[in-house]
Amino acid sequence: MSKNTPAGMAEAPRPGIVGARVQRREDPRLLTGRGSYTDDRKAAGAVHVAFCRSDRAHARIAGIDIAEAQQAPGVLGVFTAADIDAVARPIRATSNMPDYRATEFVPLARGKVRHVGEPVAAVVAENRYLAEDAAALVSVDYDPLPDAADPEAALEDRVLLHEEAGTNLIAAREFARGDVDAVMADAALVVEDRFRIRRKTPAAIENRCYLAEFDAGRQALTLHGTTQVPGLLRDALAEIFDLPGHRLRVVAPDVGGGFGAKASLYPEEVVVCALAMRLGRPVKWTGDRMEDLTATSQAFDEIVRAKLAFDADGRFLALEADVIGDIGAYSIYPWTASLEPVQVVSFLPGPYRIANYRGRVRAVATSKAPTGPYRGVGRPVSTFVMERLVDMAARRLDMDPAELRVRNLVRDEEFPYKSGSGIVWDRAGFQDCLRVTLDRFGYAERRAEQAAARERGRLVGIGIASYAELTGIGSRISAAPGMPINTGTERATIEIDSTGAVTAAFGIASHGQGLETTLAQIVAEELGVRVEDVGIVHGDSAAVAHSTGTYASRSTVLAGGAATLSARSLRAQVVKAASHLLEAAETDIEMRDGVVSVAGTDASITLRELARAFYTEMRRIPKEARESLDLSASATYDPFFGTTTAATHIAEVEIDPQTFGVAVRRYVVAEDCGRIVNPMIVDGQVHGGVAQGIGAALLEEVVHDDSGQLLTGSFVDYVVPSAAEIPDIDAAHLDTESPSTLGGYRGMGEGGTIGAPAAVANAVADALSGMDIQINELPVTPERLFRLIRPDL
Amino acid sequence: MKPPAFKYVAAGSVEEATARLAEYGDDARPIAGGQSLVPMMNFRLVSPAVLVDIRRIAPPDAIEEADGHVRVGALTRHRALETSPLVRERFPVLAAAMGHVAHLAIRNRGTIGGSLCHADPAAELPALAVLLDARIHTASCSGERIVEAGSFFEGALWTALEDGEIVTRIDFPLLRPGTGWGFREFARRHGDFALAGAAATVTGSAGRAVEVRIALFGVGETPVRATAAEALLTGTGLEPDAVAAAVDALRNAIDPDDDLHASAEYRRHLAGVMAERALGDAWARVGAGAGGGAA
Repeated sequence: MSKNTPAGMAEAPRPGIVGARVQRREDPRLLTGRGSYTDDRKAAGAVHVAFCRSDRAHARIAGIDIAEAQQAPGVLGVFTAADIDAVARPIRATSNMPDYRATEFVPLARGKVRHVGEPVAAVVAENRYLAEDAAALVSVDYDPLPDAADPEAALEDRVLLHEEAGTNLIAAREFARGDVDAVMADAALVVEDRFRIRRKTPAAIENRCYLAEFDAGRQALTLHGTTQVPGLLRDALAEIFDLPGHRLRVVAPDVGGGFGAKASLYPEEVVVCALAMRLGRPVKWTGDRMEDLTATSQAFDEIVRAKLAFDADGRFLALEADVIGDIGAYSIYPWTASLEPVQVVSFLPGPYRIANYRGRVRAVATSKAPTGPYRGVGRPVSTFVMERLVDMAARRLDMDPAELRVRNLVRDEEFPYKSGSGIVWDRAGFQDCLRVTLDRFGYAERRAEQAAARERGRLVGIGIASYAELTGIGSRISAAPGMPINTGTERATIEIDSTGAVTAAFGIASHGQGLETTLAQIVAEELGVRVEDVGIVHGDSAAVAHSTGTYASRSTVLAGGAATLSARSLRAQVVKAASHLLEAAETDIEMRDGVVSVAGTDASITLRELARAFYTEMRRIPKEARESLDLSASATYDPFFGTTTAATHIAEVEIDPQTFGVAVRRYVVAEDCGRIVNPMIVDGQVHGGVAQGIGAALLEEVVHDDSGQLLTGSFVDYVVPSAAEIPDIDAAHLDTESPSTLGGYRGMGEGGTIGAPAAVANAVADALSGMDIQINELPVTPERLFRLIRPDL
Repeated sequence: MKPPAFKYVAAGSVEEATARLAEYGDDARPIAGGQSLVPMMNFRLVSPAVLVDIRRIAPPDAIEEADGHVRVGALTRHRALETSPLVRERFPVLAAAMGHVAHLAIRNRGTIGGSLCHADPAAELPALAVLLDARIHTASCSGERIVEAGSFFEGALWTALEDGEIVTRIDFPLLRPGTGWGFREFARRHGDFALAGAAATVTGSAGRAVEVRIALFGVGETPVRATAAEALLTGTGLEPDAVAAAVDALRNAIDPDDDLHASAEYRRHLAGVMAERALGDAWARVGAGAGGGAA
C-alpha cells in the first residue's frame, strides 16, 4: 500500500520515471547560494523605494508633508496616492456571489488608513538607506478614527472601514441541506462549542520584493517579483496600466516560499510599476521582515460556533456552524475577502457522512492587514472545528475516537458522495487513510503506553484528524467563490529545438515545491526522453498565452495534465518525422531515453540527429511532410471539476504538567494524493506542511491590541516553529489514482497544514481529558493552558 | 530596516577605545559582536553617530585561572565560554547556561562583555554573573574599577556603566568544594529568550546545604538573587517542605511583567517551577559529588 520507500527506483528510472525518487534539480542551486532571486537581479540605474507606512490602525489623513523628505540626500521623489492614481486605473476584487460587497484596491492610502503598515507614501532614492532616511522625514497628519479591530464589534457597523460599502459585512453566505433544526431538536446527543483560531501570517523565508523596468524605446514594462501568479498579475497590470500583453511581462525568478501570501496583487507591485514608468529608471522595493509581518496578507482569524448532533451509536445526524471571518481591511485581489471564511463553511462537513448541514458565514472588515490565501485556505480551520467536535462526541459516547471516525467516514462504495455544502467527493481513500495511519502509528500499543504513562502522572495525549479537500480544481468551480477569473486551466508548450533539446514552458511558478523536477519527470515519461533532457521554463507570463499560476494544490494536476497532453502530441510528431527518416511505419517507431528506434531492428536516431534533419538538413524529409510536421506542441488542460485529496494525521503530544509546555513526540500521516510523481517531493511537502500546522497549533499568532496596533512586528514576537520543535514525521502515501484527472494525480501541497492543527489540538485535549477544560482556541500556548488549567490564578 | 549613516572607528587598545568614546561622548557606542546592537540599529531604535569597534583589542578571548578566580576577557564569545575545558571544569553551570543562549551562529559572534552591557533581563549570562558573584572589571578615561555583578544591573537594558566606560574582564570566584549546580529555563522555542529561568548552586556538607545561591531571570527588570529563598534553604537538607517554602518565598519576592508570551502570573509560576527543578538538580549533583570547583 505505501510507496514511501520504493527501493531501487532511482537506479532504474525507466519504466516509471513518474513515481521515481528523482533528486530535485533545483536544489544544487538553491542550497548552495546560487539561486537567482528578485533582489539578486541587477538593473543598471535602479533606484530604491522605502514606504512610509501607517502607524495608525484607523485614521483620516489630514495632510502629508513631503517637503523635507524631498530635499533629503539622494531622493528622486516622494509620491502619494494622487501620483499613482493618475496613471493606475482602479481595480477591484469582484465576485458574482450574492451578498458580496467589492471594496477598492488601494495602492497608496487615499484619504484614510485602515491598518497599521498600510503604505501611505513612497520615497524613491538612490539606495534603500537614503530612502529610509527620507521616509522618516515624511510627516503624516492623522485624525484618529474610532477603533475597528474587533470582528464581533465591527459587525455592529457603528464604525465603518469602507464608508462606500455602508457596512463592514463584506460577504455573507449560507449552505443548507435538510431540516437541521428539527434533527438537532430530536437528537439524543449534541456537542457544541465556540472555537477560535487566531490570525496567522504565512512567513515565507523570502520577503516580498519587486523590480519594475520600463523600456521607454519599446514602451514595454517588465516586473520581476516574488509572486506565485505571474500570469494573473500580468493580466491585472494590463488592466491597471492599459497595456497589451506583449508590452507587459511579469517574471517570477527563484522565489523563496509563498504559502499563498504571494498569490495576490499587492499595492507595492502597482507602485513600483507606476514609478518605473514615471521616472524612466528601474525601481526596486525589497520588503523587510517588519513590512512582511505588517503588510503581507495574513490568514485564518475566525470565530466558529459549531454544533454536532449524533445518535447513541455514534452516527452523525446534523451539523450546524456560524462563522465570523475577520478579513482585515481590504478584499484582496483577485480572490476577494470571502476566499478564506466561505471555504470554512464549504469544507466543514469534511469527509463524513452527515445528512443535514447548515453553515453560515459572515466576513467582516476590521482595521488589520488583509487576510488572503494561505496554505490550506479555510480547511485548517474547518478541520480543526470538525475534528474537535468528533473527539468531543467520542468522549460523550465513551467511544474510541478512531472507531467513531470509522463509523462516519464516507465508505468506498458511497463515492461519489455529495457533502452537505454541495461538494462532490469523487473517490478517495477516506477509510484507508485512517486505517493506514492507525497501523503505522501502532495505535493500540500507543494507547496502552499512554494509559501506563497516565498512571505515572504524565500528560500524554493522542489526537487524530481526518480531512478531505478539493484539489486540481478545473473550470467548473472557481478557486474563490464567484470570482470572475478562470482558474481551471493551465497551458504547456513543449518544443524540440534545432539542437535536439526539449524545453517545456509553463505559466505556473515553482516557489519551493520542486515543480521543475516533477514536471520534467512527467514530460520525460510521456515523451520518451531522460529527465535531464527536459528543460523547464516557468514563472514567466511570456512563456504561455494564459496562466494563473501556482496555488490551491493545482500545479501538478493542471500543469502536469497540460504537459501530458502536449508531450503526447509532440511525441506523435516525432514519430512521424522518424518514420520518414528511418523509413519505417509509424506503428513500429519507439522512443526511449531520447533515442528513436524501429522496433525489432538496429535502426535508430537520436533526438539531436532528428532535430538536425528536421530543421537544417532540408532534403531528408520531403517538403510537404515537413510542413505538416512541427516539433512543438501546445495544449491546455482543464480537469473540469477537480479531484478529492484526503488524509488522516495522528499526533502524540506530552504536556509538562508544571510549565504547560507542549511537545509533539510522534507524528504519522497517511495521505491519498493519487498517483505520485516523486515520493521524495511528496514527503517534503507533507513534512513542511505539518511543520506549519504545528506552528498554527502551538506557536504562531499575529497579535493586535484593542486599537489595532500590531504587537508582533518581528520574529522575536511572531513565533514560528524551528527544527527543534518538529518531530520526525512518518508519511505514508496511498497509491490510488484519481479517477477524475489526467494521469490520476491529486494535489497535495496543502494537506500538511490542514490536518496538523486539528491533530495537535485533539492530542492536547486528550492529554488533558482528566480535567474539566475545553481546547477550543488555537494556538494553544503555554499561557493559554496555564489560564485553562489554573483558573484560580 | 537599514540603519542611518554612522561613522566607524576601530580601536586597537583599551586606551584607544576609551579615548574615542570620551571624544565622541553620547554620540558613540562601542560595538563588539553586534548581535544586539546591530538589530537595534536596523530597527532605528538606537542611532549612534559613531561606532567604536573594540573587537581588535588584545587579548580578545582569554579564559584563565588565577588568584582563586576564573578570569574571562570581555571579548570572549559565548561559544568559547560554552566549550572552554576550564569553564566546564570549574563552572559547569556556566557552560550549561551558555548552551541556551540563542543559536550557535549567534553564540559564535556574541561576546560576554556585550551580553552583560546589553543587560537584557531575560538573558542567561547576566543571571549567571549574579549567581556566581562575578566581579566586572571596567575601564574608561577616568581609570579602571571593579563592579560587583549584584550591583551592575540597574534596570532593563540599563547598567552601572558610566558614560565612556567599557567592560574589560569578568572574574568568577571559584566555587567551594562540594557544590552542585542546576540550570533550568523555559522558552517557547529552543534558543528563544526564556519566559523565566533559574540557576542555582548548592554547597553541601554532611547532608545539609551550607550555602545556597539562586538567581532568576526573565522575571523583572534585572536578574535577581532569591535571597529569602536562599536563607530559608541554608541549613536544610532541601526536603520537599523546605523547597516548597523557598519557592513560595521567591515567587512572592519577584515582580514580573506581562508581555505577549506570558502574563506576570504565569511568569511567577514558572519562576518557581524552574527554581525548584534547578535546586533539585543542584542537590542531586552535591550527592553525586559532581560539584564544580571541588577539585
